[in-house]
Amino acid sequence: MSNVSLTSAIPLLLKAVPRSRNFEAVLLFWVAGIHAFALSQIQLAVNQVMSWDMLLYWAPPTVSAWILHYVLRKYALNADGLLLPLAFLLNGLGIAMIYRLDLAEITRGGTDLFAERQVWLSCFAMLIAAVVVRLIPNPLTLRRFPYLAGAGAVILLMLPAAPVIGRTVNGATLWVGIGELSFQPGEIAKILLAIFFAGYLVSRKGPLSEIGSRVLGMKIPGAKDLGPVLLFWVASIGVLVIQRDLGTSILYFGLFLVMIYTATGRAFYVGIGMVMMITGALVASRLFEYVGSRFESWLNPLSQENYTAAGGSYQLVQGLFGMAHGDVIGSGLGSGFPQLIPLAESDFIFAALGEELGLAGVFAILAVYLLIVYRGLRVANTHQDEFSKLLALGLAFVIGLQVFIVCGGVMGLLPLTGLTTPFLAAGGSSLLANWSIIGLLLIMSDSSLKRVSA
Amino acid sequence: MSELALFLVRIGFVAVLWVFILSLLSVIRADLYGRRVISRIARQNAPQLTAGSAASLGIDDSGVFEPTQIAVLTGRTAGTNISLEGKKEVLIGRAPSSDMVISDEFASSMHAKLVLVGQDWVLQDLNSTNGTHLDGKKITTPVTIKAGMTIRIGTTTFELRS
Repeated sequence: MSNVSLTSAIPLLLKAVPRSRNFEAVLLFWVAGIHAFALSQIQLAVNQVMSWDMLLYWAPPTVSAWILHYVLRKYALNADGLLLPLAFLLNGLGIAMIYRLDLAEITRGGTDLFAERQVWLSCFAMLIAAVVVRLIPNPLTLRRFPYLAGAGAVILLMLPAAPVIGRTVNGATLWVGIGELSFQPGEIAKILLAIFFAGYLVSRKGPLSEIGSRVLGMKIPGAKDLGPVLLFWVASIGVLVIQRDLGTSILYFGLFLVMIYTATGRAFYVGIGMVMMITGALVASRLFEYVGSRFESWLNPLSQENYTAAGGSYQLVQGLFGMAHGDVIGSGLGSGFPQLIPLAESDFIFAALGEELGLAGVFAILAVYLLIVYRGLRVANTHQDEFSKLLALGLAFVIGLQVFIVCGGVMGLLPLTGLTTPFLAAGGSSLLANWSIIGLLLIMSDSSLKRVSA
Repeated sequence: MSELALFLVRIGFVAVLWVFILSLLSVIRADLYGRRVISRIARQNAPQLTAGSAASLGIDDSGVFEPTQIAVLTGRTAGTNISLEGKKEVLIGRAPSSDMVISDEFASSMHAKLVLVGQDWVLQDLNSTNGTHLDGKKITTPVTIKAGMTIRIGTTTFELRS
């Protein structure tokens, strides 16, 4: 065979199987190996022996990830190759940490176990992502119902305040529950809100970005076009009042500001929006005792009064002690004391990982989040359609902002909120919402590469 | 296990995490610095490769097609022209706010759009009910328009002219 025919065959081969899919397969093997490493290290450190129990926590998520990979090969061949392995890595690390906390709970004689449930919820969430990829081949389909999505989001946000099904946990009204089942509707609402904003802003972009007079070098929009900003500010404050959770309110308003800024290119919206939000938060901390006590614990976590108060800074301080104990390289999985932090498996999983993996490990986890957000922004950057651009940007940003709010809260840099750590924390609604976001980003990355095919 | 072995395992896990993340940088580098350019010598040795890739990218060497107007051929507005000068995007549909209004019961309110990508106009269907046809074929993905191609939406047909 001559040299020439071989080189001319290369583009054809590359076209048949995109590099991203094969790279994804290699990364999935690698991530599954990392998960096995984590689980065996935990078993050795806590029980001193390895047992086959490990397979229960390792095999089902791995199989689900491979099913999602197969669906991508079949229906979205050109989708981004990094998103799935990155999200899967975080999900598996979360399961490993929750399993480690379960082992500590068993040693303590407790029965509050979460790991097995988390395994099956992760599988379910990954399969939902596969269904999203299969059923929504074209993201433009979502553009047809922006107002329906907006109305759906509002209803979901109101649900926790509904009389029978609404539930208040630790002071924040974020849950709905029927019997044993409970659900956090705000997590799904963030996806619907991103769809609504993208659809709305694509059609209203012109008036929002061009009308207005120039004052001090900034274009000030006319009163009519400030309407939506004001309306949404009132709505976020409404969420804050109903749910009594600052994090959720900031998350939705931040999503709105970033999307309107990207659609119109006007820094004015961000400026006025941030001033309005900070004012709202400060007023809320004065008016609502619950929000105020969170502020107080944030500003003075180590004061004896806050430490011993019910719902005070005890949890935060335990997390800080844990992370300090972890030092740079951590105590090693299974060798620290993360079980001493209340709610270490959900709200404070970041502190638990910080203790056992140390600063180096926490930076690695944050780097993985950074890569997920970066891949999402890359989809927004390369996609040709404006609606998909805005939606991809919104979805990527919402993951980034949520990580910022949660991790900032756990590290004591921001007031503590009721948001969940995406992919890591125990909880079905969060897994479901974040894996759906990954599914949507995957299909949008697939269609972004389909542009010049004449 | 001995202290040393535990220490190595402890370091090892964080190291494996970092090796994983750093290995992804090889992919990201391509985003930041662009694709690797084939050297001139390699190009001389493999002329088929460059010829093949130019054709698959749809580059026409026989002169660049730079349309300046849309000419409506059939339909209610037949005979009219719409200028493309200075435009980057043309929204086509029944909605009065469209750049090119098509009053045709088979057209959707936001039916399709033309987007200027570099030098080329790309036609994209916006999930319309009855579809957008290019040279008689219904399009499913965005397509680059070349000289002489006819676009049909409902009973209206038009083409791009320079």
